Amino acid sequence: MRNHIRELRSAAKGMTQQDLADRVGVTRQTIVALEGGAYTPSLALALRISQIFGKAVEDIFWLED
Amino acid sequence: MQKVAWTELIVAILAAILVTAIYPWLGQGALGGFGVLGFAGVTVLFLRRRGNTVVTDERDRQIDERARLRAISTAWMMLFLCLLVIIGWANSSNGHVVPTAMLTWLVWIHFTICLAVKGIAALLIYRKQEHAAQN
Repeated sequence: MRNHIRELRSAAKGMTQQDLADRVGVTRQTIVALEGGAYTPSLALALRISQIFGKAVEDIFWLED
Repeated sequence: MQKVAWTELIVAILAAILVTAIYPWLGQGALGGFGVLGFAGVTVLFLRRRGNTVVTDERDRQIDERARLRAISTAWMMLFLCLLVIIGWANSSNGHVVPTAMLTWLVWIHFTICLAVKGIAALLIYRKQEHAAQN
């Protein structure tokens, strides 16, 4: 699963990985793994991230072919 | 939580080294060396929350679950293989008798293997994810 988290974070006035991690309640390492596509988030985490950026889940996450 | 995985691996290795080192002098008494495995309990200290900092999250729990599954499967498989070998040996050359001391060793060795495999498996998963995230 891929995502636009890095781009959205940069667009959100330079929000750091730690800022996002604190807001969604995970560790910074999890954000690193998410942005690198190395970790597939739970539905709850995906929803929390989409809430932070004010976008629909499918606008942030998509399945790779 | 890589610190937890490292601690489990180090404790398992220390226990194995200690038991191997004291066995020539203490014989069966060297089983006491497996008491070192109790230090694996210090891992709870790493899980204490400090202020609002998130210490573990869903990814850590998922990795811990996967590592535990691998550790239990490995130890379980090895236990059965060892039991087969012991039963074969007892039937062929020890008058169908399995010494209880041998079973005690078997149980402690498998606790150690279980802890070591869990540590290694968790560290490998963390490393694989970090590597994938960098690419």
